[in-house]
Amino acid sequence: MSPIERAAVIGSGTMGAGIAAHLANAGLPVVMLDLGDAATKALAALPKRSPPPLVSTAAARLIRAGSLEHDLDMVADADWIVEAIVEDAEAKRSLFRRLDAVRRPGSIVSSNTSTIPLAALLEGAPAGLERDLVITHFFNPPRYMRLLEIVPGDARPDAVDVLEDVCDLRLGKTVVRCNDTPGFIANRLGVYWIGTAIGEALARGLTVEEADAVMGAPLGIPRTGVFGLMDIVGLGLHEQVNASFDRLLPADDAWRAVPDHGDLLRRMVAKGATGRGAGRGFYARDGATRLAIDLETLEYRPAARPPRLPRTARELVELPGPLGEYAWAVLGRTLAYAAAMVPGVTDRPELIDLAMRRGYGWERGPFALIGEIGPAWVAERLEADGVAVTAPIQHTATVSRSRPRDPIDGNDSASLWDTGDGVACLELHSRASAIDLDMLAMISRAVEIAATDFRGLVITNEGPHFSVGANLAYVLGLANVAAWERLAEFGDAGRRAFAAVKFAPVPVVGAVGGRALGGGCELLMHCAAVQAHTDTFMGLVELGAGLVPGWGGCRELLLRTSAAASAHGPMPPAQAAFETIARARVSTSAQEARELGFLRPHDRITPNRDRLLADARAFALELADGYAPPEPAQLTLAGRSGRATLELTAGQLARASDAVTEYDLHLAGVLAGVLTGGDADLATPVPEAAVSALEAQAVSALFREERTLQRMTHVLATGRPLRN
Amino acid sequence: MLTYRAPIADFRFLLRDVFDHDGVVAALPPFADAPLDTVMAVLEEAGGFSEQVLLPLNGVGDEQGCTYRDGAVRTPDGFREAYAALVAGGWSGIGVAPERGGAGLPGVVQAAFEEMACSGNLAFATYPLLSAGAASALCAHASAEQVERYVPHLASGEWSGTMCLTEAQAGTDLGLLRTAAEPAGDGTFRLNGTKVFITGGEHDLTDQIVHLVLARLPDAPAGTAGISLFVVPKLRPDGDPNGVTCGSIEHKMGIRGSATCVLHFEGAVGELVGAPHAGMAQMFTMMNRARLGVGIQGVGIGEVAYQTAVAYARQRLQGRAPGRAHGNGAGADPIIAHPDVRRALLRMRALTEAGRALAVWVAVELDVAHHHLVASRREAADDLVALLTPIVKAACTDNGFEAANLAIGVHGGAGYITESGVEQLARDARISQIYEGTNGVQALDLIGRKLPLHHGRLLRRFFHPAVARATAPQPAELAAVAGPVADALTHLQETTIWLGTAGRDREQAAAAATDYLRLFALTAFGDLWLRMAAACLEPAAGDAAFATAKLATARFYADRILPETAALARAVRSGKTSITAMSDDAF
Repeated sequence: MSPIERAAVIGSGTMGAGIAAHLANAGLPVVMLDLGDAATKALAALPKRSPPPLVSTAAARLIRAGSLEHDLDMVADADWIVEAIVEDAEAKRSLFRRLDAVRRPGSIVSSNTSTIPLAALLEGAPAGLERDLVITHFFNPPRYMRLLEIVPGDARPDAVDVLEDVCDLRLGKTVVRCNDTPGFIANRLGVYWIGTAIGEALARGLTVEEADAVMGAPLGIPRTGVFGLMDIVGLGLHEQVNASFDRLLPADDAWRAVPDHGDLLRRMVAKGATGRGAGRGFYARDGATRLAIDLETLEYRPAARPPRLPRTARELVELPGPLGEYAWAVLGRTLAYAAAMVPGVTDRPELIDLAMRRGYGWERGPFALIGEIGPAWVAERLEADGVAVTAPIQHTATVSRSRPRDPIDGNDSASLWDTGDGVACLELHSRASAIDLDMLAMISRAVEIAATDFRGLVITNEGPHFSVGANLAYVLGLANVAAWERLAEFGDAGRRAFAAVKFAPVPVVGAVGGRALGGGCELLMHCAAVQAHTDTFMGLVELGAGLVPGWGGCRELLLRTSAAASAHGPMPPAQAAFETIARARVSTSAQEARELGFLRPHDRITPNRDRLLADARAFALELADGYAPPEPAQLTLAGRSGRATLELTAGQLARASDAVTEYDLHLAGVLAGVLTGGDADLATPVPEAAVSALEAQAVSALFREERTLQRMTHVLATGRPLRN
Repeated sequence: MLTYRAPIADFRFLLRDVFDHDGVVAALPPFADAPLDTVMAVLEEAGGFSEQVLLPLNGVGDEQGCTYRDGAVRTPDGFREAYAALVAGGWSGIGVAPERGGAGLPGVVQAAFEEMACSGNLAFATYPLLSAGAASALCAHASAEQVERYVPHLASGEWSGTMCLTEAQAGTDLGLLRTAAEPAGDGTFRLNGTKVFITGGEHDLTDQIVHLVLARLPDAPAGTAGISLFVVPKLRPDGDPNGVTCGSIEHKMGIRGSATCVLHFEGAVGELVGAPHAGMAQMFTMMNRARLGVGIQGVGIGEVAYQTAVAYARQRLQGRAPGRAHGNGAGADPIIAHPDVRRALLRMRALTEAGRALAVWVAVELDVAHHHLVASRREAADDLVALLTPIVKAACTDNGFEAANLAIGVHGGAGYITESGVEQLARDARISQIYEGTNGVQALDLIGRKLPLHHGRLLRRFFHPAVARATAPQPAELAAVAGPVADALTHLQETTIWLGTAGRDREQAAAAATDYLRLFALTAFGDLWLRMAAACLEPAAGDAAFATAKLATARFYADRILPETAALARAVRSGKTSITAMSDDAF
């Protein structure tokens, strides 16, 4: 089997266009075909979709659109053709027959069906297609949902291996191979769970808010619960899947005993309340007010505050009263259903856990939940309920990620681990991934230890985000009581720790996924190299909190824009850095972080988050041989005249947009001062540390400004920047 | 015998030299006609009223107390005449807007009047205080028509007012109250229930008494979310009784001339004030002013205690004071020459004058919070008021009691005798630490509500200017005050930062509350002493002696009281364990 180097996607709907975009994200040239000019329109609409399906504008240029009527031969050189057209078996079969005439022999064809068995797709298929056809079941949106189910059927094993490698290593998916059974793994259990949760809520007269609170946080399920999830998925799609289950599942499948809720869904659809796509579903909005539907009258009313619930699954299912009873009625049967899926749907219970974690965002899969609640307790209670208990209920996955040893060192905010091969790993784990004094102390200490005992150091965060920056609550607490010296100490601690990272005698590699904002971004900018997950959101967003970067962010960005500048003189680099920071630009991907200068050309991108740490370790080892830390650089600053130019730019921006406030301009002026040498008019080359001093000065002055403190308060209260 | 001269010079100093009355309060639109000169003329008159009318009744009122007979309450001899003088002087409505029948003077005038009235006669002062509170509650929350019907009569003093909150089972925890309000079908309500500890609930000073009553509507949710505010007059418009009767009055430790009543509401006709179930929120908006008023009672007691103790110490001759020149055959020194007596007097004076400055500051900021044209200035002032209100209430009443107690000590055995008047001050002062939210509750309010509000925003209204003042370069005369103030601010900063993390444990915060409030209060007093001292560096003509005494008191405060902040900071940061560890049984 030859490698996959070119791809085609047939169908340009939500899924088709999303898959095409993500193939392009992986650097594959993609052909996207659909009826008439649909594909052309879908391609043009891609950059406007939210969340962004594309990682960069460059990726969009890898996609060519065409019409299914005239341009079918565009797929001729594709190594992988993804079918994502209407969910209709005959339409798909007819497409496969047409494709067979033009596709390259040995190319692999995959269907993105979620409801049609592979066997049905192959009925009357051209000879030999069964060797090339698989199902690749993406979840929506394809760029962000990490699960990919593959049904290999009778396809050539080597071709399936190549496909899986591409999906894993380049698309970044967690690939789960499935048997050809309805709903595969994730939806088979997920649809059963959704149906039971909705049906039981109806039967018990619970409100949607109550049901979602129960089927949410205490079970490690996303806060959207079940009704909120339905709004995201769309009620139409759910009905479609239900209909296919009804056609395909055996007569004695437990799914058929799910309490009836079809009438509710039909009434909702008739009302046009089909979910977020339609602007309203079980929930809606009226201005700032969140509304919830009354399940009896289908009238909207202001959403109630969620009830207070226990924090653990066991406490929840043992909670006396209607909410605890509901929790058990749904969860107990869902766990029993999961157990009954082994064997048949899959022989491996751990794949069910994995599929639910990656496909439905559950923190723990069903078997991990059984282990947490207690297998004997679950079995006993199910039996008491008269629910059939199958052997796999005893298969309890271990949830705790076992660590081989204790950390070498650590505190509440970060721990240092020996990961073998001479690489140490500093894991950040502070509250809300914020940088506090403890974390800064551990960073300094980790560099010290790595310098003597290791060949390289990796800094990472196992949580969803690398770091959201300095702990604003702490900083604001100091500023509120005018503890200026303590604030200065906190600033110094950051500058010391980050300088230690930059000038460490061994390479420090930042392994980043999710948000790396403010101080988190600055920390990465001091690393010798960065290994970034595709979904990396980096930015120097300090202006939104009324500050300027104070831990070397201004200096490092200036160093990078200076290195990249093609024109001569200190002004173009200052201008570039100024615009990025003044506009608080945040990358929507690692690729964009590179375009913005937060990542350098030699920094690397890992598509699969599961592989991030391993890639970062390998990177560190690669750099370790003959590593020499950078020499402190000299910077030529633009001086007072440069500052005036930058302020002029800011003024022009302000006039062009009503959103720019007077205080934005003030902050832009402060930033311009830092980037050009400040009042000292440092127009001659200066050591890079001079810019650090300017940063420190600027930040310390801003802490005394009421409007800066208002911005910080607002960010803390709402998570959003304030334009005051 | 109590000695009292109204502290007019100190008020003038505070308004003119420290808080810039003409630049701040008189610059607010409603007070354009109340420049310093006008205000001082009013205060001099108020001082005279307190000295000449109220003070002579103080002992009599205590001795006779109020008497109860067949549902009627008789105030002590002279109270009716004094009340008539109060009405004639127009003192009832000094803070009420002119279009509602008042004088429309700034809140700081009302505050100063209250302090002087409390110095003269705390028991008597409770009656107009409650009327002013009721008028202000109605102005804030009642319909225009209700305001029209009630407020002008309260402002003139023709009617008096009460606040009926407490019930036997619902004291600090008002969520437990049970008084019921049934709709009568005609827009009015019938109230049934019993209220206790109602100040001025029944008396013979006015015919009509306007009760503001917290009660529950039939559909009310449980707890504080289900409380509504009603206005219930003692007499119906036709003059018939309205089903409000006084069951008895309390016999109590102090303020015996103030009638503390049990009130029965039996089918009393009431009108809803504002929206249903909004009673608690309405009370909250009133609370800042009411708590300031109680804090001021402490200042008033402190002032009269101080002046009485000084007068006694000047004339009482005992012993030879160390460090004084004594000729052959010289007799005993006046005890004011003795260092320990001076310590007591200076402590009373330093705490009282700082308390007055704090009360005036809060009163000024209250006016700014209500009337400033710029929203951000209103918000900043409102923040400061919210932050300082529990401090002014708790610290000033604690200091008032302490001053009365020190005054007894200065008097020696004489102080323990009723005739001295000072033992009455201690008994009168004690209630101010309890009512309108006990001082323990004030401390919890500060630490549990005010500190976390808006992520600590309230704090910076105090800290930023205070730290800037204390750390600015100082002339030599001020350095000795500024240094200890800066140290106290550091203690308060560090303790506040510590609470920011440790205080997430609510038990830890509660265990710290009272010591923390005291630490905050002493530090705020330090800041005020620094401001007052700075204002004395260039005294106006004729004020040299006043300035010298002020600077000396500031120095005493910095040297002798501010160091307590170090101990308090250390106590707070020792953590909760020594408070929580002992088992309940071991007590």
